Amino acid sequence: MTDRRQAKGEPSEAEAIAGAKQGDAEAFEFLYHLHKRRVYSLCLRMTANTAEAEDLTQEAFLQLFRKIGTFRGESAFSTWLHRMAVNVVLMHLRRKGLAVVSLDETPEGDEDAPKKDFGADDLTLSGSIDRLQLQAAVQRLPPGYRTIFVLHDVEGYEHNEIADLVGCSIGNSKSQLHKARMKLREFLKTSRAEKAGKP
Amino acid sequence: MTCAELRRELPELLEGDPSAKLQAHLVGCGACSELVRNLETIIREARSLQACEEPSPRVWNSIEIALRQEGLIRQPEPKGRAAFVPSLARRWGVAAWLVPSAALVLVGAFLIVGRQPRVEQLPGAESRARVQVTSRVDVTDQQLLEQLALDAPLMKAAYEKELNNVNEYIRDAQNLVDENPNDEGARQSLMDAYGQKAVIYQLALDRSLP
Repeated sequence: MTDRRQAKGEPSEAEAIAGAKQGDAEAFEFLYHLHKRRVYSLCLRMTANTAEAEDLTQEAFLQLFRKIGTFRGESAFSTWLHRMAVNVVLMHLRRKGLAVVSLDETPEGDEDAPKKDFGADDLTLSGSIDRLQLQAAVQRLPPGYRTIFVLHDVEGYEHNEIADLVGCSIGNSKSQLHKARMKLREFLKTSRAEKAGKP
Repeated sequence: MTCAELRRELPELLEGDPSAKLQAHLVGCGACSELVRNLETIIREARSLQACEEPSPRVWNSIEIALRQEGLIRQPEPKGRAAFVPSLARRWGVAAWLVPSAALVLVGAFLIVGRQPRVEQLPGAESRARVQVTSRVDVTDQQLLEQLALDAPLMKAAYEKELNNVNEYIRDAQNLVDENPNDEGARQSLMDAYGQKAVIYQLALDRSLP
């Protein structure tokens, strides 16, 4: 990807960072377009709100550009930006009073109890999942579950990193993730059953 | 291993390699193996949600405005123009900067004299007025070049090139102001562009200098 861009005469990311440090407008714009989808998608997944996601994307990039003079290249630029975006979103969720991580037990009760789909004649969630259905299911998750699922399964953060970011224990992060996945499975099976016309 | 025991160990199972006991249970239990398959599918497909959405153009527009307002974006230099004034200053010394404000007044006078009064505030009327202003400026430049052709024909081509460059700079700066009327940086850029044109006029009019 980088080679193709440079073959077309476009700057490399390192050149754009150097240009942005000098206040070059095109360099800022280049960096924005390079990373906008990743940052915006993260914000959208975690807030489930388009307007909020755009505002948070703007805030994340502005924070990055204000601090770009301090970037020394010890870590990947994308990692630095991504971590900044995650912090911006988490601060926003905390300000709104939303539980960043749920501390409650499973709302439906004891998760060791037999599940209603145990041996039930439900449609199987086999094969691939429609991406739009998965997006819709993620948006339906409670905020705490959604945060952990997005950070771990979508964005690839490890549990120890998530624990640092959101201020919970590693065990809590694992527990919330499992509950989020189970909830998504439930939503997707329900959605598939509705599509098939079953009651 | 029972189904309940498997569900308790499920988080660890999905993160790493399943134990032999667990695998044996999965072979013999359709419900649990379906559950594991479903969850693995969700985990696998989750990555497809990464970087799949595009923000609207207004996000970058807002970022750019904020960066300019905070002074984090350096003002753009006109192409080929940055070296022009300093090089002439080196050639002509102090004379190159003789009363640039007077030259500004000179250019401004041409513009004011040539500008049609705005009768309406409709967008069409504004653009027509701007076209008329631009036309008047071009006519004034032509008059200057015609005079140069009489007084200093060898320099006419060089001044014509510089006038074309600075007019392009003015047009770019004007477009920026039109797009961002509240942007102080854009207005300053337009003033700088006119300032450079004033210097060109001053130099062209004072042709007695080498």
